[in-house]
Amino acid sequence: MIIRSSDEVSRTTVLKRFPVPRNFGVDAASRIDRGRTWPAPRGATRIKRFDVYRYDPQSGQNPRIDTYQVDLDDCGPMVLDVLIWIKNTVDPSLTFRRSCREGVCGSCAMNIDGTNWLACTKFNADLATPATIYPLANMRIIKDLVPDLTHLFAQHRLVEPWLRSKSPEPERERLQSPQERAQLDGLYECILCFCCTSGCPSHWWNGDRFLGPAVLLQATRWLVDSRDEATGERLDELEDPFRLYRCHTILNCTRTCPKGLNPGKAIADVKKMLIERRS
Amino acid sequence: MSSARMRSPLGRALGLGSARDGVDAWWRERVSAVALVPLTAWLTVSILMRADKGYAAVVAWLKLPITTTLMTLLLIALFYHTALGLQVVIEDYVHSRIKIPVLVGMHLGCVALGVAGLVAVLKIALA
Repeated sequence: MIIRSSDEVSRTTVLKRFPVPRNFGVDAASRIDRGRTWPAPRGATRIKRFDVYRYDPQSGQNPRIDTYQVDLDDCGPMVLDVLIWIKNTVDPSLTFRRSCREGVCGSCAMNIDGTNWLACTKFNADLATPATIYPLANMRIIKDLVPDLTHLFAQHRLVEPWLRSKSPEPERERLQSPQERAQLDGLYECILCFCCTSGCPSHWWNGDRFLGPAVLLQATRWLVDSRDEATGERLDELEDPFRLYRCHTILNCTRTCPKGLNPGKAIADVKKMLIERRS
Repeated sequence: MSSARMRSPLGRALGLGSARDGVDAWWRERVSAVALVPLTAWLTVSILMRADKGYAAVVAWLKLPITTTLMTLLLIALFYHTALGLQVVIEDYVHSRIKIPVLVGMHLGCVALGVAGLVAVLKIALA
């Protein structure tokens, strides 16, 4: 079935992880061990178990899964509230990125119950028990839930995500009709959390060359911008068996986008533009 | 490995640059897929209709000019599509030095199988 937005995906996850044995085919240094269990505070009544991925490169130890018994009456309704509660009251060493706590900064993207999502817009009530929290997949992990996004931002830089114009600089704003502005809807909302790129199998196997859904959605955003005058050069740079055509419309990107965008369609639109300009 | 680590992130992302190619392979894969829809449906129905008619009836059917034409088109579209599809699979999953030899071998194999099929069809038609 063709998914158009993550709104169409059921809120609960049937299969949290593909049913292969744990640590299957994982090299010794990346093997995930069982960590320690942190009990709920005394007097807590509404307790939910959270299994959280922990990794500290300075310890020289393997990654591990720590179990936290969280007092839901003592923290807010979102997964990010739980993580902040753990850090404040139980275990200050737990490391994660967060900033806006309302789904506009993209910092707290992580793998929650097997699906990439923003911790700040995911309700604890929608999670299984125990809930599992891992960092974004297919990234080098800096610490705990903090992935290294250097390569993804370099790929974003590659598509030159800014206005490129050849007309002389105007005295005033560059004008755009309401219809032209509407072309950017569904593209400009991307917050670069990279939930999609982390969930894309093509990016797992060929991430060094394939740009991935987040970056290609941004590329589309500049391709369809009526004020941009470098459309041809942009298409030239994308026209590549690996940069663009590794996308096989798997649509994991669209399923997982916490902003409800459709990167799969954006990539299909780029492929259509490439056909349009040669026929 | 040290040179790979010292290279800037942008340099690594840029790699060897855009091949400015790929539309053609992608488009031809779609077009051959479209061609295969009616051709495979026709072949399936035709064979099922002759399932109990015996060898001579099938040979007589294959000798019809329309059958020879459609069989030729089917074989070309089929092995062309197979080669393009397998190329994508190999590019996806093969990351070692054998990638290029495997690609070359696969393409040659598809040509060989296609030609073998065409020879068989023409031999029956012209016999």
